[in-house]
Amino acid sequence: MATNKGIRGRIFRLFDSIGEAPLSPEQRDEVSKAIGVNSAGYDPYGFNLETAERSLRVVRYLYRDYFKVEVHHAERVPDRRVIVIANHGGQIPIDGMLLASAFVFDVEPPRVLRGMVERWVPMLPWFSTLVTRCGQVVGDPANAAQLLERDQSLMVFPEGVKGISKSWFKRYQLQDFGTGFMRLALQTNTTILPVGIVGSDDIYPAITSSKRIGKMFGAPSFPITPTWPWLGPLGAIPLPVPVSIHIGEPIDFEGDPEDPEHIILDRVEHVKDAVQSLVNGGLDRRPELAQLDQFVRWRRP
Amino acid sequence: MKILLTGAAGRLARLAAHALAADGHEVVGIDVRYRPNPDIDARFEWVKRYDHRHVTEVFRRERPELLLHLGVRAGGSQAQAKSRYTQNVLGTRHLLNLCLQYGVGRVVALSTFHVYGAHPHNPTFMSEDHPLRAVQTFPELQDVVELDHAVTTFMWRHRSVRTVLLRPVHITGSHLHNQVSTLLRNDYTPRLIGFNPMMQFIHQSDVVRAIQVAIERGNYGVYNIAGEGALPWRTAIETAGGRPLHLPTWVAYPGARAVSMVYPAFPEHLMDFFRYPVIVTDQAARTDLGWKAQTSVLDTLRSVRDVPPPIV
Repeated sequence: MATNKGIRGRIFRLFDSIGEAPLSPEQRDEVSKAIGVNSAGYDPYGFNLETAERSLRVVRYLYRDYFKVEVHHAERVPDRRVIVIANHGGQIPIDGMLLASAFVFDVEPPRVLRGMVERWVPMLPWFSTLVTRCGQVVGDPANAAQLLERDQSLMVFPEGVKGISKSWFKRYQLQDFGTGFMRLALQTNTTILPVGIVGSDDIYPAITSSKRIGKMFGAPSFPITPTWPWLGPLGAIPLPVPVSIHIGEPIDFEGDPEDPEHIILDRVEHVKDAVQSLVNGGLDRRPELAQLDQFVRWRRP
Repeated sequence: MKILLTGAAGRLARLAAHALAADGHEVVGIDVRYRPNPDIDARFEWVKRYDHRHVTEVFRRERPELLLHLGVRAGGSQAQAKSRYTQNVLGTRHLLNLCLQYGVGRVVALSTFHVYGAHPHNPTFMSEDHPLRAVQTFPELQDVVELDHAVTTFMWRHRSVRTVLLRPVHITGSHLHNQVSTLLRNDYTPRLIGFNPMMQFIHQSDVVRAIQVAIERGNYGVYNIAGEGALPWRTAIETAGGRPLHLPTWVAYPGARAVSMVYPAFPEHLMDFFRYPVIVTDQAARTDLGWKAQTSVLDTLRSVRDVPPPIV
C-alpha cells in the first residue's frame, strides 16, 4: 500500500485497527465462558467483554504498530491456568497492557490475563472503570487467591512499584521480588510462567522519580524524564520503542505453602533468575538496546 | 412456631409474614410505624417509639419462640443520627435482652452489607469475616454497624439462643420502598462521573426465602445474602428503566449532604457505594443454609417498576 508510511499511514492503520473486530465469534464465546460472566455480561470483578473488545481495537494499533510487539515462544503457554511472572518497568504499566494483549492476540487460544493493579487505582475516575472492565483487579491477596480458584490466569509483576518506578539507569535490572505469588502458587497448585519483556524500560527513560511529589497526587511516585513534565502533555507521549516479549518454560513447584520464608525465597530466586535470563537473552537479540548499557550504572553479567 | 416480627409495617416484613404464614407459622407483628392497610397475615400491634414497656408486655403476653428482627431504621443522615442510634442500637439490645428473659430460643435478624463500607481497598468477594469499615468511610452509619455487632456479640455470648444474622446486598423489588428501589424507580438516578462500580442486587423474593431458610435450618451464624451477579451502577439504572443523572463528585457529595439536611431520608451514605465497589460472597449461606438466589440480576432490576400485586 502506498499509504503505509509516515503519520498518514499511522492514522490509516489506527482506523483499520478500530474497524476490525479483535476476536472471532467463536473466540468470544470461549473467552466469556472461561471468565464466567453473569446474565448481564459481567463477571463479579467488573470484566465486560464488549468494553474490553472496544479498548482492544485501539490497543491493537499500539500493540502491532506503535510498539511493534514481537512474541517469542508463544507455544510454551500451557493449556491450564498460570501465574505469569514478568519484569516491570517504564513508569506507567504499558508493559502490563502489552503483555495482556499478547495473550489475546498472539497466544492460541486467546485468554484474558487478570492483572493486579495498585490499591490507589480505584480512586482514579474513568481509568479505574476502564481497567476493571478489561479484567484488572485490585491487588489484594484475597482477590488473587479467589481468581485462581475460579480458574483464571494471573499476571503478576512481583517487583511492584520498585520495578516500575526505577530510573532508566537501572534498566532491565530486576528489583527484589515479593514472595506472595510463590505461596499462592504452592497453595493453589498453579504453574508459574516466567516472561521477560524487553523494550518496556526505555519507553519512559526516567532520570529520577520523586516519591514526595507522587504522594501529592496520591500516586506511588512521580517520574521525571527528559521530556516530562517539561513539555507538558506532549512530554507524556511514550517513545515508540519496539517491545519484545519472551515467554519462558513453565515451572511447576511442589512444596508446602507454609514453608519458612528462606525456603520460599529460594524458589522465588529461581523464578527471578529465569526472568532475568529471558530479559538478557532478549537484549542480546536487540543490539540497539543492549548497546545503551554503556550509559548505565548497572551492567548485565 | 410463634414468630415475633419487628418492623412489621414495612413491605419486606409483610412479604415475609405472608410467606411464613403460608409455612404454617403464627406471626405477631410489631412496629413503631402505623400500618394503614391490613394486608398482612399476622396480628399487628402498633407500639410507640422507644416504648420499652409496651414491647416487654408483648413478649410477656405472646411468649414467641422466634424473634424475626426486621425493624432496622435505614438512613445515613446526620440529622437523624441520634434517634436512629436509640432505635436501632438500644432498641435491638432491649429486644435481645427480652429474648433471654422470656426464653425466646431463636433470633433471626436482618443487617445490611452497608456495614462493610465502600472503601477503595475492599477486595472483591468479602466474606463475613471482613472488618466492618463503614464507620471509617461514613461515621453516620455507626448505628447500623453497632446493631450488627450487638447481634453477633449476643450470638457468641448466649449460646442458648440460636442466632442468625443476615447481611443482604441492595434489596430491590416492586413492593419495596427502600432507598435503592426508590432511587431506581425515579426518572433520574444519580451516578458519579468517572465512576461506575460493580454492585450487587437481590430480589425481594430471594430475601424472603433466605429468611424462611434461616428460620428452617439456621443454627448460629452471620451470612451474607447476595444475588445472582453484579453489574455496574449505570447499567443497573438503565436496566431498571431510568436515566442516569451524571454528577461530578465535587457536586454530588456536598449536594447529597445539603439534600439530606432538608429531606433526612435521602441516602447520603450511598454516594460512596456509587463510587467504590462492595462485592460480598454468599458462599457460607450456600453451604450452611443451602440457600441460593433464584432471580437473575436483570430480572431483579426490571421488576422495580412493575405494579406490585397485592401481597395477600
